[in-house]
Amino acid sequence: MTISSEAPASFRSSAVRPGPIGLIAEGIREVASRRRLIGHLVRADVRKKGANTILGNVWWVVDPILQMAVYVVLISVVFQRAPFPDYALFIFAAILPWKWFQSSVSDAITSVTGADRLIKQIQFPKLVLPLASVVAGVVSFAFGLVALALLMALLYPHRISPMLALIPAVGVVQVAFTLALAIALSSINVFYRDIGNLARHAFRLWFYLSPGLYSVDQLREAGDQYGPVADILLLNPFATLFTAYRSLIYDGRPPDWAALGALLVVSIGLVALATLLFKRVEPSFAKVL
Amino acid sequence: MAAEQTQVARAHPFDPDAPVAIDVNGLGVKYSLRFTRKTTVHRSFVNLFSRRKPEEFWALRDVTFRLVHGESLAVIGPNGAGKSTLLQVLAGIITPSAGTVDVHGHISSLLTLGAGFDPELTGRENIGLAGAFLGIAGEEMERRAPGIVDFADLGDFIDAPLKTYSSGMRARLGFSIATSVDPDILLLDEVLATGDQAFRAKSKARVQELIGSAKAIVLVTHDMSWVTEFCNRALLLEKGHVVADGDPEEVVAMHREHSARAKAAATVVPPTPAPAAPR
Repeated sequence: MTISSEAPASFRSSAVRPGPIGLIAEGIREVASRRRLIGHLVRADVRKKGANTILGNVWWVVDPILQMAVYVVLISVVFQRAPFPDYALFIFAAILPWKWFQSSVSDAITSVTGADRLIKQIQFPKLVLPLASVVAGVVSFAFGLVALALLMALLYPHRISPMLALIPAVGVVQVAFTLALAIALSSINVFYRDIGNLARHAFRLWFYLSPGLYSVDQLREAGDQYGPVADILLLNPFATLFTAYRSLIYDGRPPDWAALGALLVVSIGLVALATLLFKRVEPSFAKVL
Repeated sequence: MAAEQTQVARAHPFDPDAPVAIDVNGLGVKYSLRFTRKTTVHRSFVNLFSRRKPEEFWALRDVTFRLVHGESLAVIGPNGAGKSTLLQVLAGIITPSAGTVDVHGHISSLLTLGAGFDPELTGRENIGLAGAFLGIAGEEMERRAPGIVDFADLGDFIDAPLKTYSSGMRARLGFSIATSVDPDILLLDEVLATGDQAFRAKSKARVQELIGSAKAIVLVTHDMSWVTEFCNRALLLEKGHVVADGDPEEVVAMHREHSARAKAAATVVPPTPAPAAPR
């Protein structure tokens, strides 16, 4: 009797492994054949996050608004230094994608180590684990867009423009960059469990070094004073991403497509490298976990 | 110390032309003790700068055998001999460090009872999730779901989240899913004692049914009555090496003799601290 299956039935397992291109191709094949597993994992993840709190998945809407409120109180009220009109929307355009990025990568970091029992008992492509975290992050970002819609409809109706429809295009570039980091860090965390702790602090620093609470022009002006430091900060992918989101949401202008295109190309290259790293160390997972 | 391998004649009529199910050639599995559980950056820096060579441990070494259709192989041996590692390699979970393993046909391992269950999902949803992990196509799993639900016999609990289940109910669901497939090759690792008395009898019957329908079987067990009852070939592993391969009765006798000798040696020699077996 044959079983219809998404995984290859007969297999050869050998100490000889394919080369870099072969490994990346293998990774793509595995993920493509296991789309249904990713779907199941995403559904389970979304369900789990909503399950243990009173507000459930409503937190995805409330959370970025509260965080924005904290910064607005701190900068506009305490320091009295809000540099732009409609400052709340100005920083919200950065907080929303940042929360998305941060939660996707943090979830991905523990995705492989959290599945240790499974990895020791079933043969399946481990790449689906960080991938499912990233896809689940996309779902939560979609909820976050509800928060954005509410905020704009209630407080900033004069900023609504057709450009808002282009947010998903910028989102695609962000997903590519997120994926690279998610895949790489999830595999490194198997060997060094400190990655999670380290990432928490790195994320905080990263956000303050990105033009989220300030504008990229302010960063350039600072560059005139301080020289190369600001130029290095401009290479940060989130300098490009935050500026693009802000053009769409706050200014109602099209983003810098050339910069986004360049970032997309670099990100796809990074995804390939991360996949290679992951596939190289994947055989050790069952032994180390 | 490479142990000498004893080839014991097969007890059953052996057909050399039968299709091959599993072909293991010069298999070795190496564990590097550098990355043991939960390494931290601090520890690995210490390892990096210490002059000690990274310690290695071969859980399996030079294992070669070929299993054809119609054979049921029992893998026996003392604790830490590499029996479970061998099953993990056959299931594709661990990649060999040396040699090759060819598996022809769909493999099902009953190592997987309850692995991959998500406590927030209902029993029914977990059936779908488990099927996706095992790589069974969606329609196929939907076709099997009623049978799984029936066999697990959980009543209305099947639509309740798994976190409300008792451990026995969980085991029952796991067993039902794991045994719902009709595999070409069946891997078994002493998982047969699950659930209450009634379910245990039912599950033993189910395993026997599977053993009857599978084309080839590999069974790891410490229960020698299973070896002689269900298997027509046995493999004795000691310290990662195949020591004997052939007729179950003779291999079991050899295993008994070796463990009796080991026990006698352990009582004569004052206890020395044995090197900890890595996991």
